[in-house]
Amino acid sequence: MKIGRIFTKGLIFDNPIFVQLLGMCPTLAVTNSAQNALGMGLATTAVLIGSNAVISLIKNLIPSKIRIPAFVVVIATFVTMIGMLMKAYLPDLDKALGLFIPLIVVNCLILARAESFASKQTIFPSVVDGVGMGLGFTLGLTILGAVRELFGLGTVFGVTILGDFFQPASIMTLPPGAFLALGLLLALFNKLTAKGLNEL
Amino acid sequence: MRDIIRLGLILLLITSIAAFVLGMTNDFTKVIIQERAEQANVEAIQALLTDAEDFNKVELDSIEGIIVESYEGTKNGVIVGYTVKTKPQGYGGTVEVLVGMTIDGKISGVKVGEHTETPGLGSKIADASFIDQYLDKATNLVFLVRKDNVTSDEEIQAISGATISSEAVTDGVNAATQLFEDVLKNR
Repeated sequence: MKIGRIFTKGLIFDNPIFVQLLGMCPTLAVTNSAQNALGMGLATTAVLIGSNAVISLIKNLIPSKIRIPAFVVVIATFVTMIGMLMKAYLPDLDKALGLFIPLIVVNCLILARAESFASKQTIFPSVVDGVGMGLGFTLGLTILGAVRELFGLGTVFGVTILGDFFQPASIMTLPPGAFLALGLLLALFNKLTAKGLNEL
Repeated sequence: MRDIIRLGLILLLITSIAAFVLGMTNDFTKVIIQERAEQANVEAIQALLTDAEDFNKVELDSIEGIIVESYEGTKNGVIVGYTVKTKPQGYGGTVEVLVGMTIDGKISGVKVGEHTETPGLGSKIADASFIDQYLDKATNLVFLVRKDNVTSDEEIQAISGATISSEAVTDGVNAATQLFEDVLKNR
């Protein structure tokens, strides 16, 4: 598979959120604002790149019987490191996401990429896959976060978009709004890509 | 049997490397995290007692109940007030309540720090609309949470649906003002 293809697959055609519907727990929980969504997406991307790289390097050393615990240890190590680094250097983001960072460990997206891609490929394609899937996840989260913030508060990334005439529907920033926005965005995404997928 | 030992050793190797990497990261970030926490603490108590310029920790003879620590705020060497940190029991765990009091017996600031109250209900204890009820009131009052309309200074309007959380903050403020009246004022 071509490198460019691996990247676009993760970003759009196999988008973790809109196509694979993986990692729904953080997707629904942290997308109450565009900023939180972006932060969570980038943190997940960092973990995904790191774990894909390491797993592709050590795949021959891990007997298949214990591959799942080995993968989980690698992923958990990266998550814990990112959690510590965020606490030290990005305290504001840590305050907003603190609770969800440990949850990256159980984000099925990361284990899925380790199992179905990184454990069968060399390091370079694995890193590209991590970047593509990670950015695809980030893109999905950020769009969802921006839509919810726009309708829930009238702002995107804290900048007021809709003026005084708009009455914010605060349900959009509450948990039910996550389901509503995700459902509508999924429908829109499928509508937009249906043609493209048929041509492939 | 041999296989089990071999697999176990491989897992041991992987986890040892992971532990080593984590230990290094922890050593590296621990200092920065601690410095940040201290800085945040100083900024928090400064906001409660804006008159003061320097803060020194008060050595309390015996720390009782929910009192955590206390600082005296000074300006040009004169004590202008005190801040007290308390940790009363809320609905979902302990609530960190910081209270600033001026030396003439007025509450100059209340802040709710770390807490695990229900988001959207109990978490409203951190909002200005609730916290401002304590502001500028005398430290010799004993506050009481009321669910219906409040009529006097010592009554605090509870957040609807979060009476326990409202009471927790009130407990914290009461403990702080009592410490001020009984101990700090007479130092």
